[in-house]
Amino acid sequence: MTQKKYDAIIIGAGIIGNSIAYELALKGYKTLSIDKLGGSGFGSTAGSCAIIRLYYSSPEGVALAREGYYYWLDWPKYLKTIDPAGMAYYKNTGAMVYKSEHNKNLAPVMESLDALGVGYLELTPEEMKQYLPNPDLRSFHPQKRMDDPDFGKPTGKSINGAVYVPESGYVSDPKLSTHNVEIAARNVGSDFMFNTQVVDILKKEGRAAGVALKDGTIIEAPVVVNVAGPHSYIINRMAGVEDKMNIKTRALRVEVAHVPSPAGVDWENTGIITSDSDTGVYTRPEVGNHVLIGSEEPACDPLDYVDPDDYNKNFTDQLKTQAMRVAMRIPDLPIPNKDQGLVDLYDVSDDWYPIYDKSDLPGFYLAIGTSGNQYKNAPPVGSFMSELIQYCESGNDHDKTPLQYRMKYINRTLNIGFFSRNREINQDSSFSVIG
Amino acid sequence: MQIYICVKHVPDSAAHITILDKNRIDESISFLLNPYDEHAVTEAAKIKNNTPDSEVIAVCLGKNDAEKTIRSALAMGADRGILITCDKNYDSMVTALALKAAIEQDGTPGLIFTGKESIDAEGMQTMFRIGAVFDFPVATNVVKLDIEVDKAVVDCELSGGITNTYEMSLPCVLGAGKGLNTPRYPTFPDVVKSKKKPVQKIVFTDLNIKDSPAGMRIVELEPLHQARQPKEIKGDAGFVAKEIIRILKQEAKVL
Repeated sequence: MTQKKYDAIIIGAGIIGNSIAYELALKGYKTLSIDKLGGSGFGSTAGSCAIIRLYYSSPEGVALAREGYYYWLDWPKYLKTIDPAGMAYYKNTGAMVYKSEHNKNLAPVMESLDALGVGYLELTPEEMKQYLPNPDLRSFHPQKRMDDPDFGKPTGKSINGAVYVPESGYVSDPKLSTHNVEIAARNVGSDFMFNTQVVDILKKEGRAAGVALKDGTIIEAPVVVNVAGPHSYIINRMAGVEDKMNIKTRALRVEVAHVPSPAGVDWENTGIITSDSDTGVYTRPEVGNHVLIGSEEPACDPLDYVDPDDYNKNFTDQLKTQAMRVAMRIPDLPIPNKDQGLVDLYDVSDDWYPIYDKSDLPGFYLAIGTSGNQYKNAPPVGSFMSELIQYCESGNDHDKTPLQYRMKYINRTLNIGFFSRNREINQDSSFSVIG
Repeated sequence: MQIYICVKHVPDSAAHITILDKNRIDESISFLLNPYDEHAVTEAAKIKNNTPDSEVIAVCLGKNDAEKTIRSALAMGADRGILITCDKNYDSMVTALALKAAIEQDGTPGLIFTGKESIDAEGMQTMFRIGAVFDFPVATNVVKLDIEVDKAVVDCELSGGITNTYEMSLPCVLGAGKGLNTPRYPTFPDVVKSKKKPVQKIVFTDLNIKDSPAGMRIVELEPLHQARQPKEIKGDAGFVAKEIIRILKQEAKVL
């Protein structure tokens, strides 16, 4: 059975896949988005903490996050629609990033923020106290597991200070935001198929030609984009491109904890985002006056690479370990006996930087390896991926002469070659969700 | 006064629970302090703070791993723990006999707490069986408690939201209900302190518990499959809102 022909098929209806569909449709492509799950953003996007922050280990990362920030500020205007299901919104909280040797005391981040003209405050340990409820600012580095007898014992020094970036926050509902983009894309002609699994990438005359579905349906298109998140490596293997990539992707299992705020603290409304590389955790205010706690992958924690279709969805000791790391910093933080939070997957690349690229199969494109840190960048990624597809499809060699993308809000150029599948592992990376 | 809290190590109800051999669950999931027992520990710690020379002791019959649950009780305010270690699950009759033996070996109970039920077996029997073996009065689903010189004044919630008030002689056995208090969750310093508190381990067989003349065993466990039954409410916004309020009040009974 052969269905009607599309200009582009996007595999994966997460926040980035839908942004690519929307941007391609705006450029006149007839697109079809296919997702194995029942709706937009039902996969790993739903588990995203949706944090909009600017501290990345590379100048390119900082610049792209700043560009993305402006899209979220004016979300309905970007999408040119109001979703009847409701619109996700950006909530500004401010973000405080702890200085540490691990992040080079944030010197590279401050340099990038200066270059972009982004305001920030450099805080002394004393000044940090106004942003946290009754904190203990002693150092606990290096991080340890809970069964280590030295877990939670201060190691002598104090925290070295922090950088506070007021223009930071989070998006209210990542799944809803992805639905918002679906509605915007449908408005400009995109089609979506849910509960539909791709089982093969079709090839014709040495290039991508469409996809085969599990029920035997063949859908033809000259352009196929892999935005399959934690399943990205499986799609790459179908296309036969994985072996030719220098940087590869894998599914990593992660846990995020939710714990109540300390008594008398309205953290939901007055809390900030924190990134504490001394204890190896980040936090965000969460509904229900909770604190959401994620891991920054400290060296002592094993990385749990899994089969994205068969992994342990129960909480493990990791969840409590993360909560306890915040509890060291905030001694009034209550730790319930019953774990709350979520278990989900990252699509991690070898250096925790994303791959936004063509592949060695003409017509087959990659927006993968997002490593838990690209939700915020989805709108500009959608924009430059659509330009990259146009650029390559009109005969340019992106590997030799990479696309130079103009970021319209911050009026700067981004070398898309930075995100190449064939780069060397970027040693400047944090090798964590920080990117 | 010595206040004993009988706590249970139960599977996390949020975990994906798998039934093995049709009569037991796969225990390779998170276990925790039975949520109703949290109310018991919180109340016991409160009484201790208002009663000079009192001590709170958490007692548990369970496998070695149940020490975690005792440590949770210690972090929430208990002073020390007693773990009766066993390698299988016992019914409420044997459990009550084992708890009694361990408590009597340890001291003289002025008050014994349990949760009003455990979230795994939901038997709601252990507090009564403890009362029976000690010959103490028992009240369950306790939502208010005042300890006076020689008696406890207790409010118990019955079904339908009715509350009865009882005067009970001491010592007595109390099954803590949700309405009793808001559990006081431990902080990091509480957890650090709890690690240093003593936990005595007693081997179940050393208690020489005699077989009860009767007993209960699980014959078969079956997972409950509950399908969602969505229903569309049609009409204008005002009608829909009124209908939702009616359903929440009359059908769900949550308003």
